[in-house]
This record gives sequence, C-alpha cells and structure tokens, in this order.
Amino acid sequence: MSKLKYKLIPKGAAEGRVPINLIFIDKKDVLAAGLTYREACNVMAKNFKEPAAIDVMDMDAITVTSDGIVVDYAVVAFASIDYGMINRDFGYLGISERPYSEKLLQEEPHMKQWNAIPAYRGKQLFRGPNFEDRLPRVAHNETQTITGRIANNNTGSEFMNVVDMTEILVPAYGALEIMHDGEVLIGPAGPEISVGIGMVVFETYGRIFNRSYGAGLTAHNSGVYAKTVKSDYPAIAGRKQTLAEYTLRALEIGLVPGRDLGCSPAVLSIAKAFGSPIAFDNIEDRAWVELESVGIKRSWLEAPSKKLSREEVIANADEIVPGISEGKLFKVSDICNICYAEV
Amino acid sequence: MKLMHTKLPDFCKKVAAAGKKLRPETEVVLRGLESMKSAKLASLRVGRIEEEIIEITQDPNVAKVEVTVLPQIPETIHTVVIKGVQKDGKSKKTILESMFITTPAPECYYHDSEEVDDRRVSYD
Repeated sequence: MSKLKYKLIPKGAAEGRVPINLIFIDKKDVLAAGLTYREACNVMAKNFKEPAAIDVMDMDAITVTSDGIVVDYAVVAFASIDYGMINRDFGYLGISERPYSEKLLQEEPHMKQWNAIPAYRGKQLFRGPNFEDRLPRVAHNETQTITGRIANNNTGSEFMNVVDMTEILVPAYGALEIMHDGEVLIGPAGPEISVGIGMVVFETYGRIFNRSYGAGLTAHNSGVYAKTVKSDYPAIAGRKQTLAEYTLRALEIGLVPGRDLGCSPAVLSIAKAFGSPIAFDNIEDRAWVELESVGIKRSWLEAPSKKLSREEVIANADEIVPGISEGKLFKVSDICNICYAEV
Repeated sequence: MKLMHTKLPDFCKKVAAAGKKLRPETEVVLRGLESMKSAKLASLRVGRIEEEIIEITQDPNVAKVEVTVLPQIPETIHTVVIKGVQKDGKSKKTILESMFITTPAPECYYHDSEEVDDRRVSYD
C-alpha cells in the first residue's frame, strides 16, 4: 500500500492565527503515489476526517498573482473536504494548462514575463480553471470548491468555513514559501492587501476572474470601503523580500503598473522605490479613491525621490511594501507538519 | 404534467402529511424555505419527495424526518434591490446589485447517516 505525502498547516497553527486546516500536496508526490489529482483529494478526504482545504501544487510550473506578477509555482487542482467526503459536483476543481501563444501575450501584456524572464521560459502555465474545468459551475460562480463547511476559493488562495464563518487568505508568495519551507508572515491582511487584491489584470481564465477588469481598474469598485473588505482576515503571506524580488523582475523587463500590471499598493510602492514608470493617467478615478484611502496618493508617487537599486529595494522591502502591519514571521517548518496518508 | 407547479403552502402541508402518514406521531421538520413568502414548486419533484418521505418512514424506528431544502449549487447569485423610499412612500431610485452567497453544502446535513442514496439531478 503506497502513501501520499502532504503538508498540513493545522487549524490553530501560528499561535492560533490559522482558523482552518490547510493541506498542500506537491504534484510530484501525487504522481509518486500513482494517483490522479482527484484521486489524491479523495484519499485525503478518506484519511483526514476534519474539514480542510486542499491545494495540489506544481512547483515546475508558473502562475500569476492577481496584480499580474508571474511566480514559479502553480495550483493545478484544489478541493474542499469535510466529514470524510468531497461534494459530488462542487468539491473538486482541476485546472487545465494555458498554452503559450503570441496572441495570449498580445492580449495580456503582463504575460510578457513568461518569455522575457529566463526562469519562466518554457514552463507550463496554470492560472484558473477553464469553462470545461468549471462544469457544472456556471459563469457567475467563483473559482471555488465547496464541501460541507469548507469553501476553497479563487483557485486555492482563499479558504473559508461557511459555518463558523472564519477565513484565511494565502496569497501567491505565501504559498510559494510554504512549498519551499521558507518563512511566512502571518497576520491580519490589513487595508493595503484588502485594496490590492482588487487591482487585477485582464486574463482569460485567470485565477479569480475571466476576461474582466484590467490594469488600472478596480474590481472592488467600492470606494473607501475597499480597504475594509478583507482587512480583518488573517493572511499567510510571503516575506516582503520575496514579493519585491518577483515584482522587480516584472518591472525590469519594462512592464508598467497601471498599464501592464495591476495598480496594487505593493506594486506601486515598489515601482516608486525603484524609479519605474507608472501609467498614472491609465489608473481610473475609482481606483485612485481606493489607493488614496490607504495613503497611496498620486502626488506622493509623482514626487521626486531617491531611486533605489534592486538590492536596496529588496533589503528595505519591509519598509517599502505596505500590508500586514501586525504580522509575525514564522518558519514554515514551525507551523507546518509533513504527513502521510494511506492510499 | 411536467409543467405543473405546486403552491408553497401546499408543499409544506404535503411534506407534513407524508411524514405522518404511516405514524401520526412522527415529528416532521421542514427547513430551508423560511424566507420565502410565495413560490411555485415543480409538481413532479413534489410527488417524488412525498414518496421518498414515505420510504424513509417505512423504517419503524424513524421517529423524526428532517426535510432540508438547499440550493443544489451551494454558491448562489442573488439580486440585491437597494431602494430608497421617500417620506410620502414613493421611490425615486433603486440600485440593483449582485450578491454571491456560499452556504454550507449538503454534507453538513447528512454526514452522520449510514446510507446516502443520491437521486438528485445529474449534471452529466
């Protein structure tokens, strides 16, 4: 009988900051156990009787953050498990590869990172599920799995218990650190991340949206309330140095926040520090309202300031990148257990 | 026949009657429709549910039937009507907005059952 290796961040981890069991499975471990992704999730449901969210990760692939930064890992399947079950129709979602094409790069300028950055060139891209992947979900449904109490939303980055109504976010850089056994910053998402997650890029079958909104726009479109919508929920974020490193890669190939990249507080703050151009006039008024509500003012961004080097931006990322002001840094090995499920 | 629909109050009465048909002392709980004031329910399914309630109560040890009505898609889209009403009772403006609601999925209601017979509409 083979065993399936998985990582578990249990409910209550990080000194009580994590409200929901989070399971991460490396695609390689799924294949090593001779399973499909769906079978692996079924194995977890049978073995792990508690409510939990599952992400299956491909560490050789790439995906895209909501504000358009390419990162080198991808969620390739995700699920919700509860009471030893997976909901027949809505408990599991697999994600199809998004093939490379020049048309894709033309329609989605942020995807120039795929070819222009050697670390990503030739890798498989997985973002959100396509139309067929999502069935029987319809257009209005989110990219979400639901079983019992657990909803796993936005392609494995937002986990909820719809009975006790707790929630935790795992932004892309947090997932990356979890899989690399690095360090994670855990704390309330805060107003800056709350605003930032609405500053999305235009993508066909994105992790969150399909062909909606775009760089310079706000998906929240909720004025001064945008900073409140997720601010109180805990997030497992990556170190700000990691976020800065990946964002700098995109800026260094000439991508412009507000035109090619989402105008999130994090991206704009790094662009300001690095002296990169920002498409100020392409950022819609309602996005400015949300940015200004968290202190990101156009006048501040346009004001002359010392241009920092790449090394200086990374070294000072904790001061430059806003968000998670009350967070605490944890070694992943201190909050995450390596476990094995009977197949 | 397929197009005929049952009134909501009639459905509630039919559920209670079916639950008590074999043993009048059987407790019948119907939940999930509390916020609906009026509705029409597909008659074909109403008949099936009456039959299935009888099937469940054929076990002489069943003392209570819980009938829970849930959206089959546990993430539903709702219209939110935001309407301003003036002092004279007239309305000048309404904004319609969408709200997506994720609710507990059916596993929450039957996880302790020994046997589950899934007769729902299939999406395949």
